[in-house]
Amino acid sequence: MGRARDLARYSATRLALAPLMLWLIASLVFLLLRVAPGDPVDAVLGSRAPAAAKAAMRARLGLDQSLLDQYLTYLNGLLHGDLGQALINQEPVRTIIGKTLPASLELSVIALVMAAVVGLSVGFSGIARPEGTLDLGGRLYGLGTYALPPFWVAMLVQLVFAVSLGWLPVGGRFPPSLLPPDGSGFFLLDSALQSNWAAFRGTVRHLILPAGTLALLLSGTFTTALRLNLRRTLRGDYVEAARSRGLSERQVILRHGLPNALLPVLTIAGITVASLIGGALLIEVTFSWPGIALRLQEAINQRDYPVVQGIVVVIAALVVLVSVAVDLLVAALDPRVRY
Amino acid sequence: MLIGLVLALAQMGCQAPPPTTRITVASAGRISSLDPAQASTLSATQLISALGDPLYRLKRDGSLEPRLAASAPVLSDGGRTVTIPLRTDVRFHDGTPFNAAAMAFSLRRFLNIGTLSYVVGDRIASVEEADAHTLRLHLSRPSTSLRGLLTSINLTPISPKAYSSHQDRFLHDRFVGTGPYKLTRFSEHQQRLEPFAQYWGEAPRNNGLDLITLSNSTALYGALRSGEVDLLLSASIDEDQRHTLHQQAIAGDLHESVGPAMEIGYITLLSNQDPFQDPNLRRALAVSLNRTEISERVSYGLRRPLRALVPPSLPGGALASWPKHNPNQARELLRAAGYCNGRPLRFPLTFRSNVPADKLLALTWQAQVQRDLPDCLVLELDGVESTTIYRQLGEGAFKAVMLDWRGSYPDPEAYLTPLLSCTSVRGDHCVDGEAAISGSFWSAPGLQTTLLETDTLVGEARRNALDRVEHLSANGAAYIPVWLDSPRAWAQLNLSPPKFDGSGQLMLAELERRFEGTTNN
Repeated sequence: MGRARDLARYSATRLALAPLMLWLIASLVFLLLRVAPGDPVDAVLGSRAPAAAKAAMRARLGLDQSLLDQYLTYLNGLLHGDLGQALINQEPVRTIIGKTLPASLELSVIALVMAAVVGLSVGFSGIARPEGTLDLGGRLYGLGTYALPPFWVAMLVQLVFAVSLGWLPVGGRFPPSLLPPDGSGFFLLDSALQSNWAAFRGTVRHLILPAGTLALLLSGTFTTALRLNLRRTLRGDYVEAARSRGLSERQVILRHGLPNALLPVLTIAGITVASLIGGALLIEVTFSWPGIALRLQEAINQRDYPVVQGIVVVIAALVVLVSVAVDLLVAALDPRVRY
Repeated sequence: MLIGLVLALAQMGCQAPPPTTRITVASAGRISSLDPAQASTLSATQLISALGDPLYRLKRDGSLEPRLAASAPVLSDGGRTVTIPLRTDVRFHDGTPFNAAAMAFSLRRFLNIGTLSYVVGDRIASVEEADAHTLRLHLSRPSTSLRGLLTSINLTPISPKAYSSHQDRFLHDRFVGTGPYKLTRFSEHQQRLEPFAQYWGEAPRNNGLDLITLSNSTALYGALRSGEVDLLLSASIDEDQRHTLHQQAIAGDLHESVGPAMEIGYITLLSNQDPFQDPNLRRALAVSLNRTEISERVSYGLRRPLRALVPPSLPGGALASWPKHNPNQARELLRAAGYCNGRPLRFPLTFRSNVPADKLLALTWQAQVQRDLPDCLVLELDGVESTTIYRQLGEGAFKAVMLDWRGSYPDPEAYLTPLLSCTSVRGDHCVDGEAAISGSFWSAPGLQTTLLETDTLVGEARRNALDRVEHLSANGAAYIPVWLDSPRAWAQLNLSPPKFDGSGQLMLAELERRFEGTTNN
């Protein structure tokens, strides 16, 4: 009962700190964008637009107000869930995020699942014979994939599987000749729910290369993390105790070693998926994946302040929420965690 | 294991899609606005050209072809009134009839909110509907370049009904025009176009278009190579890949089409500050540049060397107003200014870091002066992202910066005015005006008068005036033209060869898929 109360208090504290963290991030982004060179009005109207048109646009966007007034207006909107409108085409930032976030989430989750399956399998495969061939291979795989430059791998994969072999699409998220399924924006889910198998197949085809590349790059982290944690766990006293009770090595590993070794891996997975939402830029650029990271890059280039601010705040919120959720999950699963 | 998984999953999609008469066109650059009053990117104007019709189209031979106009414009009142008869058989995609009221609505809207309204400048004083199918423009001054302006994609008419609630604001994700295609689906990265059944002109030769944008040059190149797209339209593809595609076209593996050369690449020198206040130093730089070598090294000769500001394909355009490469003359000019012999002129050359060709050009020029003028000239390269450059250009932030320019309509004025026009001149310096916005801050006695004069003259007299402007500019050397670029399109062999019109727009409706044993769809 006491532990449950402690867990609740811990959860409340973590969640209470989240708005403070988001406010700090939002403020920092607001300030950095104003300091960066480049005028959003020029980006919208072009540098040759008449001065009167520029002044009118500046006034309409509120850019003629003092920095403090702009900041307060921005915070007020944020508190009311209003992320503003894109400067370039006046599209609500919420709509932009609504269109691009599912693409990034779909890519990230699929990549993470692939990475976890492959990475954990490789990490686990060598444990029966430490320093054996499989273990050595796993170690090399972990280090190698971790060290590969993402942009180079993505280009190579694209050139081999899409350009040379022609097996898969070079880029994009969906076949241009088909109509994307309506719904949540998660094309795999939407097409499966609507039994639209042509769309489902098209989505899978477009997902394979970007998700596979991301998975390849991430899987080494899982391999290394599992391998190290499992070896450390198998040296623990309670494992020795299990062995002394006459359990087979297989039972020792599966019942006692693996569950404990997977807890840190769970934390890594959580942080990875959170960072992937906004951090898969190189993959999104290479494969023309219309996700939130690609949109963020375009908005930065265009000095589209509201879009940059909105996307950064939403990504930050997701990172905070996922990390809190992972912490709570680990705390709930691991009785050794204290608050 | 991962590769095996990928290969296994790939089997799901290895079947080639069935043949279709729809055509997939790939280009670079997201389309953020389809509003003709705002659209400025090549991808956006290309899309609008398929969805709408201009009043006139410029043919490759330089003549005007009436599109929504019924015949050539009629000038009266000493060139201050332009009367344009309009077609009577045209409808917008929403069924609204096209007439003088619709055309006037579109023009007034552009003049009111158009971000590119500077292309019209102060020329059109008012727009009048003379009758149901006759439009009359009252000009503030006679304007020869109006002829080219009437071909501008930005003046494409839009349905007054569909835009009734967007008279004074942009409509970004829809377009209701009169063109051979109507837009049935729009996202920034993908657009779907279907033939418009009530189109007044010749029906498209395909069953529709799927336009996609890919975010990098390798993806564009790869998509064409793998057969994933039927046609690649891009000016922003990397030089190596352009060259490879060009070679493949020569070998007969692809169709290649080249549009009129409308984009100039040039270097702007800051003429109102040291060191380039001295015109001799600017002239020295102008003759230090070996354009032919740069063209070969950077673009494999696909970008043509240029020694003028106006593309030669335009009336009055020329290839050679600026002097040729002459390192000896550069050395003499630099010596006369006190440089060389242990005291080289060092200056920063800024290039757009997000434009690969610019970096290659900068590196090649740097190597040329190291070879030809090692004791006289040192270029210090500085890559800056283009948004920052354009923002700071008018503030005089760059001593020398590489840029490019494509006129909004096919007329010399669309090139000269944005670079040279100046509303406030002090000596050889432009204090306020386009020359200041362009970062050169340069003008010359009589330049502005001659520039304005060029827009009132016709024929030989205009060509002579344009020639005077070019030579004044070459002598001032605040701009150094480098090369001339053309839009290119590459298509698979099962497509008819693509064709550009005289304004550089690809005529998408004329694309036709050729199945084996057939010639039509």
